[in-house]
Amino acid sequence: MNVADWVVLLGTIVGIAAYGAWRTRHVRSLNTYLRGNASTGWGTIGLSVMATQASAITFLSLPGQGFESGIGFVQNYFGLPLALIVVCAVFLPMYRRLNVYTAYEFLGQRFDEKTRLLAAGVTIYAPAIIISTVLGWPLNLVIVFTGLLVIVYTVTGGSEAVALTHKWQMAVISAGMVTAMVVLLLRLPDGLGFSGAAHVAGALGKLQAVDFSLDPSRRYTVWTGVFGGLFLSLSYFGTDQSQVQRYIGGASLREGRLGLMFNAVLKIPMQFVILLLGALLFVFYQFAPHPVFFNQAEWRRHAHDSRFRAIEAQHATAVAQSQSAIRAWLQARAADDPGREASARTTMIAAGDRTREIRAEAKAALAAADPRAKTQDSDYVFITFILTQLPHGAVGLLVAVMFASALSSKASELAALGTTTTIDFWRHFRPLAAGDEARNVRVARRFTALWGVLAVAFALFAGFAENLIEAINILGSIFYGVLLGLFVVAFFFRRVGGPAVCLAAVIAQALVIVMYFTLNIGYLWYNLIGCAACIAFSLVLQALLPPRARAAEGRAG
Amino acid sequence: MTPAPRPDEPSETEPPDVPGFRTWRGIYLFVFGWFVLVVILLAVFTGIFA
Repeated sequence: MNVADWVVLLGTIVGIAAYGAWRTRHVRSLNTYLRGNASTGWGTIGLSVMATQASAITFLSLPGQGFESGIGFVQNYFGLPLALIVVCAVFLPMYRRLNVYTAYEFLGQRFDEKTRLLAAGVTIYAPAIIISTVLGWPLNLVIVFTGLLVIVYTVTGGSEAVALTHKWQMAVISAGMVTAMVVLLLRLPDGLGFSGAAHVAGALGKLQAVDFSLDPSRRYTVWTGVFGGLFLSLSYFGTDQSQVQRYIGGASLREGRLGLMFNAVLKIPMQFVILLLGALLFVFYQFAPHPVFFNQAEWRRHAHDSRFRAIEAQHATAVAQSQSAIRAWLQARAADDPGREASARTTMIAAGDRTREIRAEAKAALAAADPRAKTQDSDYVFITFILTQLPHGAVGLLVAVMFASALSSKASELAALGTTTTIDFWRHFRPLAAGDEARNVRVARRFTALWGVLAVAFALFAGFAENLIEAINILGSIFYGVLLGLFVVAFFFRRVGGPAVCLAAVIAQALVIVMYFTLNIGYLWYNLIGCAACIAFSLVLQALLPPRARAAEGRAG
Repeated sequence: MTPAPRPDEPSETEPPDVPGFRTWRGIYLFVFGWFVLVVILLAVFTGIFA
């Protein structure tokens, strides 16, 4: 990175954070601090919802997913538009009618802060480790810088500052991703173009966007996406405070609904484009020199002996052969000779398989050299492209994309944590202070700052798995289904009391965990299973409980 | 304390005030139709390139 990159990076990231803090420095109303400005329109709400979900992991990991496994991951989002329709029609009107600050306030149960701390730590740690590795910056410095920046404006302006900065962060993210796509298309070999690159990617198995297979062991199909993804998205958008807080405020019910519909329309196309970028990166690297293992810092740490040199040499040869095979196939296609094309296609696929085998050998060699070595490198593909292929200035912009997305998701988490701790925890024990608005705002600020410091500390000392976008979706699928079940029971089964639903949630969660470790089914199904199990157990337990306990529950509820 | 409930919040019957749509149900149907169209386009994309 040169001076131009640094100017762009610091100008955008620090500038947006400073703007958010400055514009919201006079926020004194608890309502504005916790729910945002009451005049917020649907555009801001929509971008804020989008920015909250789009963490830095999205922009580092998704292109890597497209590069490694193709664009089938897009099916993961198929349930999202349907879930947002349900949130608009059922959840949002309910939250607004009850005029609550948090989703958990409605549920009447306190929030699990440990889980949220883990999520908050992940959103800081994940991009920090990748950015610091590739740029050679000290990891702890990146974590502390990112953390402090987000704490300053989130503590200052609360939810209003979060929504305000989200707009500009999404503008930076969009500009950066469009720039990356344009540069990638311009850097493709002469004569290949988008269509040629897409045909190569497709022939090499990277462009199967939809899979209608009914095999339950397949991770991404239309059915896991629509049914499992529906429940995952319903839990995330309907019950996760970091999202609920984005749309619960706003000028009116209409603004919240339109903001959510904005996401329902745009989310799948947006994720498709990012995954497609990864698949096209795969094609680009068939024609451009690239390392056998994209996390070069990790490779250089372990790859010292002749075995690694041999792997590098084999990889260079295999890439050259693959490149020749691709060119031969393209020529056969252009000549419109089906026989020659089929033969060239077989050769090209075999050459691609050979390259993949050598990459697997490289990872095995790393693991053999050091069992603790990080052997996943797909998250490093996109940032390697950014740093080696983009012009100066654009590099700064793309690194700013990573930071902007890290800050945007982090800010939502912190604002949500500060809100739930103040409303669901502190005020529970200090009911007499509930009427003192100024004191409530001060307490919310302190809790937000405290959570920010804890998240930074957690990120400094914790370690996480790599390839995070999938890991986070798996974790979410294990726990979100039961959480959604709690809300569905609360919404629609009014006769079910607190103890019955609590016990049901514990049993359902245990069931999901046992199933996860014993069955081989796509993880998205656990969203549906967890929700259904929680509802079913709640109804059964409510019927089985002694009448006196049921009466006590009714009064308690 | 938490503000009192808002009984006067616009209901489902309130028009969405979006050109071309008179009810929220119309908007939901449009979004659902868009989703179906996107899945069909992705299936066509898969058929062409994969």
